[in-house]
Amino acid sequence: MTPLMSLRDLRVEFDTRHGRVTALSSISLDVRPGETLGIVGESGCGKSITALAMMGLVPNPPGHVTDGRIEFNGEDITNAPAKRLRQLRGGDIAMIFQEPMTSLNPVFTVGDQIAESILLHQNISRANAEMQVVELLDTVGIPEPEARSKSYPHQLSGGMRQRVMIAMAISCRPKLLIADEPTTALDVTVQAQIFDLMRDIQAKFGVAIVLITHDMGAIAEMTDRVAVMYAGRIIEQGDSDKILDNPLHPYTRGLIGCIPVLGREAASTDRLPPLAEIPGVVPPLHLLGEGCAFAERCALADATCRSMRPPLEDKKGHPVACHHPGEVLAPGAEVSV
Amino acid sequence: MSDPLLSVRDLEVSFDVGRKGIFGKPRLLRAVRGIDFDLMQGRTLGLVGESGSGKTTTAMAAIRLAQSSGGSVMFDGHDLLGLPEAEMRAQRQHLQVIFQDPYSSLNPRNRVGAIVREPLDLMNVGDPGGRGQRVQELFALVGLRPDQMTLFPHQFSGGQRQRISIARALATNPRLIVCDEPVSALDVAIQAQILNLLRRLQDEFGLSYLFISHDLGVVQFICDDIAVMYLGEVVEYADRPTLFSKPRHPYTAVLLEAAPSLKRRKSSGYHREGMVKGDLPSPMNLPKGCAFASRCPFAQDRCRAEAPALRDIGNSRVACHFPLD
Repeated sequence: MTPLMSLRDLRVEFDTRHGRVTALSSISLDVRPGETLGIVGESGCGKSITALAMMGLVPNPPGHVTDGRIEFNGEDITNAPAKRLRQLRGGDIAMIFQEPMTSLNPVFTVGDQIAESILLHQNISRANAEMQVVELLDTVGIPEPEARSKSYPHQLSGGMRQRVMIAMAISCRPKLLIADEPTTALDVTVQAQIFDLMRDIQAKFGVAIVLITHDMGAIAEMTDRVAVMYAGRIIEQGDSDKILDNPLHPYTRGLIGCIPVLGREAASTDRLPPLAEIPGVVPPLHLLGEGCAFAERCALADATCRSMRPPLEDKKGHPVACHHPGEVLAPGAEVSV
Repeated sequence: MSDPLLSVRDLEVSFDVGRKGIFGKPRLLRAVRGIDFDLMQGRTLGLVGESGSGKTTTAMAAIRLAQSSGGSVMFDGHDLLGLPEAEMRAQRQHLQVIFQDPYSSLNPRNRVGAIVREPLDLMNVGDPGGRGQRVQELFALVGLRPDQMTLFPHQFSGGQRQRISIARALATNPRLIVCDEPVSALDVAIQAQILNLLRRLQDEFGLSYLFISHDLGVVQFICDDIAVMYLGEVVEYADRPTLFSKPRHPYTAVLLEAAPSLKRRKSSGYHREGMVKGDLPSPMNLPKGCAFASRCPFAQDRCRAEAPALRDIGNSRVACHFPLD
């Protein structure tokens, strides 16, 4: 099956006061039609830049796509003219951002803003567009859609605003929906509602979703495949089930192990054992050396790890960038912080 | 059983939100409505709920950092709400807070060593000559190096700043620490470091925590007892094993169902059951009956007419007419 969106050896650099810094290197990803791909990692790992690159939205300056290809539906859009990119954005590729308040215009009604996107991409009358808006608001579960379409963003709650963003995103029946931490600013019950809505929409319209998140729980619940990122590179990639059940990279294992377990199985009277920790912090991008970027925080790291960066290659079932995939420390050798 | 360290009864907090027009009636927002809880020495009580549920206001009113409009708070034999200012100030060294945002809760113009030392000077704890030594000890305790004492807050990462906040809170040897979402601004990997640290310090010093969080996983990890709050009221109160194995209030069950978990897989066709609709109602016009009735999947006529009181069911206290089995 041809992938819908495909990144090949993508490299993105930024001009900073520390000089040229590589924000993304050798990023290769495929998004297949109708699937959900998760991109997971800590702040600063490059997951949002990856999403922006898919839409040709890497801010320039200071950002530059210096190498690699971005293909959408077989078409190379790496250096596509601005006009073509504008057709794609909001048309075939749509995006939902983290903070719905800042991505909606406060001085227009939400109905106007959704209609704007429809009128830009479809050749229909204003009245027709307004009818579509009401239908869309109904689809995303907003009660009294007709009245709500005349509301301003500040009159809606955070969850409602995110629904409006989703209505806008699906207004032109996109093939690909990129969701950058769509629920981070929301409460858990509202997050659950938004996730349920995204799943319903995928089932109804067959849209492929790229879900950017730092939450492994969201990855489990929402995605078919996942790419784990660290310091601007993909360090492990594959079917979500495989990665969650059999993580090979020590960083992925750490990300999974440091989440407090929730639910009945952990409801014992005893104290829960301490959480697994990943010591230290993500290194600044301008200080990355020749070796594995994770070596300094990794209990398995040896001289090879510090001098030679492991390539992303198939080992023990799926691609992982590690010299010691799937290895565990001998008991008692744990390094405490 | 020994007396609780902190005992809160019937706590009420109202905010004056002004009149509607100049001839309008003054309006009150009842943010916290009749809260009771007990916190034992060396234990952790979790206050859980969504934004707007009143969990932070409750905790701040309990240690008199927010003005309460009713109720009583006993801390170690003192009636905190009735104490004169000077005596309240003397109690402050036993009551400390760790805030959510490690970026705004540290003064950017002070060196972090001075930030940690400040409570010692303000409350005159220990002799002045020994305070520098004490600050060094505190830095070691939270996993920072003494040579970092001369740096400024912006030179630290979020997790390190939270360690500084913890050191500052520990400085006066407090008995109770209010932790107001101490890990929600941190990346998961760093979150685990801080949670482990908080628990280690509790064991070492017999600290009691009043722990505010919206994340049930975090709460299950660190809390001994949990009060689930909804719109300014406690709707369920139980110890950890009871609450997580047998949630009685439909809202608690909804929170558990909503929280993402590694066990729920898209591949196995996971579908969420019984999720609530809509958002928290406005606290300005509270419904007559149960506050949760408008979103509850099991609400009946009685729920909309009559507010349920907190009552004992099994090992839990639940405010619901039709608690779950």
